[in-house]
Amino acid sequence: MTFGRRLRSRIWRGSVEDEVDAELGFHVEMRARELEARGMSSADAHEAAVRRFGNIERVNATCRSIGKQRDRGMRRTEFLTELTQDLTFAARQLVHHPGFTIVALLTLSLGIGATAAIFSAVQAVVLRPLPVPEPSRILAVYTAFPQGRGSVSAGNFVDGIEPVSSFAATTAIRYSSFNLADTAQAERIIGAQVTAGFFDVFGVVPAHGRVFTAGEDRPGGPKVVVLSHRLWNRRFGANPSVLETQVRLGGQPYEVIGVMPATFDFTAQTEELWVPMAFTPERKAMHDEHQYQVYARLASGATSERALAELHRNAESIRVRYPKEAAELDFAAAKVMDELVGDYRRRLFTLLGAVGLVMLIACGNIANLLLARATARSGELAIRVALGAGRGRIIRQLLTESLLLATLAGAAGIALASWGVQALTAAAPPGVPRLEQASINPLVLTFTAVIVIASAIVFGLAPAVRASRTDVQGVLKEGGRGMGAGVAKDRLRTAVIVGELALALVLLIGAGLLIRSAMALERVSPGFDASHVLAARLSLPPTDYKAPERVLQTFEQVAAAASAVPGVRSASLTSQVPMGPGGNGNGLIPEGKPFDIKNSIQSRLRIVTPGYFDTMGISVVRGRALNAEDRRGALKVMVVSESLARALFADSDPIGRRVACCEPGPDGKSPDYKTVVGVAADTRWRGPAEPPSPEFYLPAAQIPANAWDWIQRTLYVTVRTTGDPATVINPLRSALAPIVPGVPLFDIRTMEQRIGASLQTARFNTLLLTILGGLGVVLAIVGIYGVIAYFVTRRTREIGVRIALGATRRDVIALVVRQAVWPVGLGVAAGLIASVMATRLLRNQLFGIGPNDPMTFAGVAVAVTLVALTASFVPALRAAGSDPTDALRTQ
Amino acid sequence: MASRSDASGMLHGTLDALILKTLTWGVRHGYGIARWLEEATGDAVPIEEGSLYPALYRLERRGLIEAEWGLSELGRKAKFYRITAKGRRQLAADTEEWTRFSAAVSKVLIPSGA
Repeated sequence: MTFGRRLRSRIWRGSVEDEVDAELGFHVEMRARELEARGMSSADAHEAAVRRFGNIERVNATCRSIGKQRDRGMRRTEFLTELTQDLTFAARQLVHHPGFTIVALLTLSLGIGATAAIFSAVQAVVLRPLPVPEPSRILAVYTAFPQGRGSVSAGNFVDGIEPVSSFAATTAIRYSSFNLADTAQAERIIGAQVTAGFFDVFGVVPAHGRVFTAGEDRPGGPKVVVLSHRLWNRRFGANPSVLETQVRLGGQPYEVIGVMPATFDFTAQTEELWVPMAFTPERKAMHDEHQYQVYARLASGATSERALAELHRNAESIRVRYPKEAAELDFAAAKVMDELVGDYRRRLFTLLGAVGLVMLIACGNIANLLLARATARSGELAIRVALGAGRGRIIRQLLTESLLLATLAGAAGIALASWGVQALTAAAPPGVPRLEQASINPLVLTFTAVIVIASAIVFGLAPAVRASRTDVQGVLKEGGRGMGAGVAKDRLRTAVIVGELALALVLLIGAGLLIRSAMALERVSPGFDASHVLAARLSLPPTDYKAPERVLQTFEQVAAAASAVPGVRSASLTSQVPMGPGGNGNGLIPEGKPFDIKNSIQSRLRIVTPGYFDTMGISVVRGRALNAEDRRGALKVMVVSESLARALFADSDPIGRRVACCEPGPDGKSPDYKTVVGVAADTRWRGPAEPPSPEFYLPAAQIPANAWDWIQRTLYVTVRTTGDPATVINPLRSALAPIVPGVPLFDIRTMEQRIGASLQTARFNTLLLTILGGLGVVLAIVGIYGVIAYFVTRRTREIGVRIALGATRRDVIALVVRQAVWPVGLGVAAGLIASVMATRLLRNQLFGIGPNDPMTFAGVAVAVTLVALTASFVPALRAAGSDPTDALRTQ
Repeated sequence: MASRSDASGMLHGTLDALILKTLTWGVRHGYGIARWLEEATGDAVPIEEGSLYPALYRLERRGLIEAEWGLSELGRKAKFYRITAKGRRQLAADTEEWTRFSAAVSKVLIPSGA
């Protein structure tokens, strides 16, 4: 834009309308005057002038519209020109102050990078909808037990859930591991037996081939299998010709009929194949064997409230029809997405909040740097104001600088984030659903852009507004030294560090609580001795091992062979090791109480072979352990855990008492009683953080025949070793191979690894929050140091005078440190108050302490206060050591 | 220059070129331009006075001329136009185009030797 045009826009401040009216009016008037000068009368001249002009309204309207376009274009050009100027100027400023620029860019890009990385995890795990049509209409349906929600029985599924009219489709699923064997080596694969409604519920069509239909999930139906994309890729090289060929699953041939799309692999942990599940009429009559996951899709127009009401009604009619097996039956339902994400929503948002706090602290530091710099620049700004730049213009220019800084940091932050996402997914504990799919995608980029703009405003606005208030005359008179608004600026800078300290304290207290929880967890005795114990699973295919006697005999041979492996001190088998998924549960009723489901104690069943308590290091506190004498035909016995003994018999001696469980008695009607021969210590089988719950142990030789089906002919082989348990893995494999040819050991891990895995998520969270807390404190301390150092620089002269007048080192140090006492005290106090509220978010992750643990609060507060005051000591010492003559000579 | 007539009854673009030419001799307000065109072209190029202004606004929007407010000879506030460097380049191009166009038309209408 040329100077003339800009000048015109400055001088002509009226509207386009006025401009056109005046210009055309001028023309007509000039013409009229000329005609008048030639002798016309005034009225005639005006009329003639108008006539000669033509259609004045149309011309006026045309000119107005062109004029408006012209002005719009001009404003745009002006804006862009000014922006270019501001950006050029801002870039020059950044280049000329490399110290400031580097510190600010480092701080900001770290903050932005960390925020973007955590956000991409939040987005991948929590925010992203499931890649199926209308995922919010898919519900998981459960049996509601007094202790919580659980699986559903076949009978209740058929009678109570399938008929619900609010559901468009329903499916029952049973997850199990399959022995997939073809030409390559055998492999255990997590698969699912599903009823045909499965594919309707999720509404996903196969990528290749077809899925099975309602006709194929009846008893005796064809043996067909649908593969997941992941399995198809890994095992079959993504070869489409696998369709209609046969694979061997659990020793039986299955025809591959379809492959699901890659998007249907919701998480890295989901099942990898689906086979049809058929309910036999006997199965359909069973209402008390709860072993199926149930999902349902809401019919169009139906709500989950209506569906739940129907479920409650159906449960009631089942209760009436089967008072014995389903006395207290009820259903519960939840959105499948909430089930998938579970507790990670809260955990991840807590992390995002924490990283947001670090980002705020970082912004606080940049704001303080800018405030200090604004003082140095007040001369330059005063000259600009004197040359006619308005306040708005100055603010805009300074904000442009902030925005340029934030944008550069944002670009670096994205690079850091893409590295951070990889580090995060690599370091995160397994089992965080969908975390492996986290990436820097357009949504993350958009979020980062918002963070960039927001941070530029947060750290740039206050300094810009402050700078725009420059007292022009004062500054110019002082020769650009800029002492003008000193006191007020210091107060703002102090407020910023008060805020930073408060935020840092919240972060550190959160981290402190998690660390103390972790320490408490380490001290918890799990109820068993995990050292030197290895556990691996072995699953006998039902085709080759049909008869219960053969299963028992094989497992007994396995136990004997494992005991004979060199380096093994003892070996035994169990249906469920501690730290596992939990296993089967049964309701137990002590003899003497009415045989009513209301009197039953839900307990976890552990089927064990002799020697298990020795191998696992679980102490038997009363009575005896199970041994080889507890065989079929002998007295039916059980060992109960301490908490179960209390629940069944209160304080009286449980030994010799009888408990009904697991199977009908010999007459098929009356309860079957087992005699308690021992009490074992409680184990924290759900992990050290979870309180023990009732468990009972049955000898494998005495279990009911159908119990092998409950546990799918799968037992853990546990061995206690003399040395490193990892060294016996291969000898164990070769020792078992001749007994169970072609059946692989899987899930081979030491018990210490299993405990570690159950703590991994907590450890990871603790680690991340500790890092963030540490980062926050370092930033806040740097902020305090900066403010105090600045104070010392500003007061060099005054301090010099004081020293010259006889002030001691102590006096000077006290003067400087006193400057830090108030903001530190205020910041710590504010941080404590904020923490009381903020730590509630962590309540679910704490163990052994409350969210307002006084030890943590006090410890962190004292530590932060000390460190912060120490930071102010450094400039204080420098001030005390300064030479008064030098100090007085400056300025 | 397309051979299409515009509202003023002239060949399209001719008015723009004439305005630019007028302004090469100095700063003028709209009425002054109108007067100058009248005198310079006589009755040969009839211009409806009103059509001058949309042309001026369009030229200003295109940055070929620029305007500023000043005092007229009679002491009244008037909008004065000045040709810009871009306007001079446009005029040169238009003139060349016109020369070629008229030469071509002349060759057809006035065959040499006739």
